[in-house]
Amino acid sequence: MFTKQMISSEIPMLMSKACEIFIQELTFRAWMHAEKNNKSIVQPCDVAKVIMQTDTMNFLTEIIPNNLGDFSVFDAKEENIANIAEENEVSLSFTAGFMGNPMMKMDSEENAGNIVEGNQATLPYTSGFMGNPMNMMNMDNVRMK
Amino acid sequence: MADSDNDSGGAHNAGKGSEMSPREQDRFLPIANVSRIMKKALPANAKISKDAKETVQECVSEFISFITGEASDKCQREKRKTINGDDLLWAMTTLGFEDYVEPLKGYLQRFREMEGEKTVAARDKDAPPPTNATNSAYESPSYAAAPGGIMMHQGHVYGSAGFHQVAGGAIKGGPVYPGPGSNAGRPR
Repeated sequence: MFTKQMISSEIPMLMSKACEIFIQELTFRAWMHAEKNNKSIVQPCDVAKVIMQTDTMNFLTEIIPNNLGDFSVFDAKEENIANIAEENEVSLSFTAGFMGNPMMKMDSEENAGNIVEGNQATLPYTSGFMGNPMNMMNMDNVRMK
Repeated sequence: MADSDNDSGGAHNAGKGSEMSPREQDRFLPIANVSRIMKKALPANAKISKDAKETVQECVSEFISFITGEASDKCQREKRKTINGDDLLWAMTTLGFEDYVEPLKGYLQRFREMEGEKTVAARDKDAPPPTNATNSAYESPSYAAAPGGIMMHQGHVYGSAGFHQVAGGAIKGGPVYPGPGSNAGRPR
């Protein structure tokens, strides 16, 4: 198990500031993406796109599949379907293949039923999707905590 | 004020009570604070959907775990028990967020100066109530840093008021840090 670790009094202040910068960077990039598609409302798919297109945000890819699944399944209105189609047109072929994968919807439904089990079920698929050893290491790192 | 915002954020999360246990709520920063910071990054005419706010809420919590996990690993390799500010800055550089380091260094320097002043001021104070000991240890540094933020008058878009609110959020995110209680015992 973990040896006990402590943090200096600087950490809460420093991490708070870092989070603020991070939130604003992520939000600004998402808005740039929304504007590019002539949208005035930032949506989860804009955030997801930023995460997939920005190298430093790769550690977030394991969070996004669920969000995209939720977005397409529970908000399945014509407007949203059109947005998703638009995304497919603009996005990279790899991303398009991922977003068009029906497995994600199944995972999402399963996730809706049982969050914990859903998360477990999603992990192997996510690993397969990323296929990147660095991301695998990050995931292991997360589990260690 | 920070406590009130935290409650507000918590109340919002409680709205999803059917899906999340109380413990689950503590995994994320308060969405009201996250939302406010998001709006500061955009022009007035921009709108943000509720789902996008929740997505960013999850992302920033993951960001905290990502950075602190790397800093924690470094301390363990070096057989040190306390994570300090330089460890966080190192972790950010290693993980690709080197652009964050420069503004944070300025804040860290200012904070350390204020910390010195706080220590002096603390001698003139009565002992804080026991029940608030932990909060006091957290809030004092954040509050002390705010004046420094004002004095700097930098061109950053990050206002000191916003910083203070985020500090409140960080307290809410306390479970992420291995030893929050240790702060109370380590005034400088």
